[in-house]
Amino acid sequence: MGRIVGIDLGTTNSLVAYADALTGQPKCIPGPYGSTLCPSVVSIDTDGSVIVGQPAKRRLLTQPERTIYSVKRLMGRGPTDIQDELKLFPFRIAPASRNVIRVRLGDKVFTPPEISAFILRELKNWAEAFFGETVDRAVITVPAYFNDAQRQATKDAGRIAGLEVLRLVNEPTAAALAYGLHEKQRGKVAVYDLGGGTFDISVLKLISTSEGDIYQVLSTNGDTHLGGDDIDNLLQAFVHELILQHDRVDFSPHGELAQELRKALIQVKHQLSETEAATLRFSLPNGKVFTHEFTRGALDALIRPVVDRTMGPVKQALADAQLKPADIGEVVLVGGATRTPLIRRTVQEFFDRKPHTELNPDEVVALGAAVQANILDRGVKNMLLLDVTPLSLGIETYGGAVAKVIPRNSTIPASAQELYTTGVDNQTGIEIHVLQGERELAKDCRSLARFTLKVPPAPAGLPRIEVKFLIDANGILQVGARDLRTGEQHSIEVQPSYGISHAEIERMLEESIEYAEQDFAERQLIEARTEADTILAATVKAQANPKSAELTADEGAKIDASVAALKESVAGTDYKLIRKRIDELNRATEHLAELLMSSAVSTALEGRKLAEV
Amino acid sequence: MSTATTSTNSEKVLDYFAIFGVPRKLWIEMSELEQKFLQMSWKLHPDNFVNATEQERELSLKRSSELNDAYRTLRDPIARVEYLLGIEGERKEGEKKQQAPPELLEEVFELNESLEELREARASGQDLTGLQARLETAEKSFQEKLGEVDAELQSAAREWDAALTVDSAARKKVMARLNELLNRRSYIRNLVTNVAKELGEV
Repeated sequence: MGRIVGIDLGTTNSLVAYADALTGQPKCIPGPYGSTLCPSVVSIDTDGSVIVGQPAKRRLLTQPERTIYSVKRLMGRGPTDIQDELKLFPFRIAPASRNVIRVRLGDKVFTPPEISAFILRELKNWAEAFFGETVDRAVITVPAYFNDAQRQATKDAGRIAGLEVLRLVNEPTAAALAYGLHEKQRGKVAVYDLGGGTFDISVLKLISTSEGDIYQVLSTNGDTHLGGDDIDNLLQAFVHELILQHDRVDFSPHGELAQELRKALIQVKHQLSETEAATLRFSLPNGKVFTHEFTRGALDALIRPVVDRTMGPVKQALADAQLKPADIGEVVLVGGATRTPLIRRTVQEFFDRKPHTELNPDEVVALGAAVQANILDRGVKNMLLLDVTPLSLGIETYGGAVAKVIPRNSTIPASAQELYTTGVDNQTGIEIHVLQGERELAKDCRSLARFTLKVPPAPAGLPRIEVKFLIDANGILQVGARDLRTGEQHSIEVQPSYGISHAEIERMLEESIEYAEQDFAERQLIEARTEADTILAATVKAQANPKSAELTADEGAKIDASVAALKESVAGTDYKLIRKRIDELNRATEHLAELLMSSAVSTALEGRKLAEV
Repeated sequence: MSTATTSTNSEKVLDYFAIFGVPRKLWIEMSELEQKFLQMSWKLHPDNFVNATEQERELSLKRSSELNDAYRTLRDPIARVEYLLGIEGERKEGEKKQQAPPELLEEVFELNESLEELREARASGQDLTGLQARLETAEKSFQEKLGEVDAELQSAAREWDAALTVDSAARKKVMARLNELLNRRSYIRNLVTNVAKELGEV
């Protein structure tokens, strides 16, 4: 068995983390560009090769028709669900998308789980390069408010990426685990998680028992279509309108220019989290430069509607937990969008409590996933997570009404049994429609599945079939049936309303091999050699610098020896040896790297490797 | 969707009280129930069985879901009574559910009239303040009645606990009473919900 990791599959960025074998401390794994954030962007090159992350993000500007971002918004959704998204996002939906959306990238067509699988595979590669071992199992996080279809789609993505998904963990719950708040405080915790595309609020109770700490989720609420993206959309629409009025320049909302503008606006937004004012400068195709001075106050006014929309779910979650704001002992902020001062202020005022922001809000969810992965992997039980289902499960009854069988905020796994019989003699089937949601009518709820319960011919009312609906620990529905007269188990072929069939996943799994399954060792070797080349080149350059004269003779000799040793290992095929020699050369050149940096910069860059200077 | 009946049926063998090892009493010490729930969760939760055989994983899923179902039901005082009557084979909602309890007939009639007037007035854009006040008073009155039913349920529950070890005739009588109270409660609750919804739309 290979290694296990925790993965935050985000709308904007995705991350992979692991727990240290000795200390259990979770850490995020950096990718080839040094950052732990992998932009959730996928691009398909003309030769069919897949590009993921930072390089794919650059292609958003140059090859938008071959590149996709925010694919999480499409997970587990049907073509009719996403009409609103299409106005705001440049998704190119392929025709003949019936139950499952198919996205066109260049001349190829993919489902959202396949695209997410590319991201997962990239993170898997990061982790494998980091460990020098295969990674085959993962805990993946999902928004707490994700419905059954969205969860199933995420699990499918893991499977297509060649990962066994041991558990789907709700993002706010993962964040609470990462904070490990039990060490400081026992009591009620609210986790406010505003990510790129989704908003979650979860209320937890932390209990310490003789066996260990229990994280019991009391309630959760949210909006799977509310996030930092919406703030960016508001800003973009606002500036777009200004440009149209002042400079009479109109551009397509999804074109290259719009992407450039979005990028510039996101920078302004980030700057306004630090300073009170920031200026947007944007070159227009007519040669003019559009400038606009934003104050934080103006930004706040613009984005207030988004912030206000989060407060409805916050109040509902508290009401469902039968708590008042004052009952909450700790508040945790998660997600990049919570860096926004207005959000921090609004949350702080509501709970009358300074929220926790100690952990990097981008990393905290992945860290929590790694903690849970470690618990599942090693069976070390000093922690137990009791999560809930965010939405009520219901069955359609007479007249299109919904009978709730498992209420929202039930601890999972949870189940319900319903007894069915026939209405007419020799009826051979009973139609069952399973839904998720809080509304009273089936048409207002989310259709999960429809199936026909097969019944042996008998007089009306005589058959007694018990159907068991079970929501597992991942929040995913399973259905089973039993004939109470014979005790026989019926197998039920549940056709999901939105989602990929089992057979299709198997096909995708086979196809995905053509995209990635280079031999593991071979890939490791290529990556190690590339890294070696980078550091060798950097060393040669550094040694040519006059500053290198300040090295002692001993230090110089050590560097030369390390360079020779690394070159020798690169000629061979042992990637582990190459990595070891890279580390040695890195250590040998530490002082040289320091010398090369001006003293002002050196404090900021302390501990950086030569290749990065 | 032809013929579905609800789950609380005598064919069900699973006993939520037995899962927690408590007698079928309606008064339950909550902190004790929670302790037991947490202790059993440590043992049964699927997290413990990720690397186990498929058979063990299935069993853990089944047992832990039953534990959670049991805790969810017994923790809620109303669901607890409903469940008890169900496993005792004495829960009968059926035709009586939609009928107003006789002593409430008059008030319900008035309430429905006010609601109708409110809808009409809203549709024609008339001033709603008077009607609204009347409905708010009615809502409050039914809220109070809900409180009374709950108090009666509590006293009937105490009777049940006392009769548990005595004779079956007394138990049957208490169950009939509990059943009637549950039906009345459900009826009043629906009224309150409806009024609150209409008022919410004003």
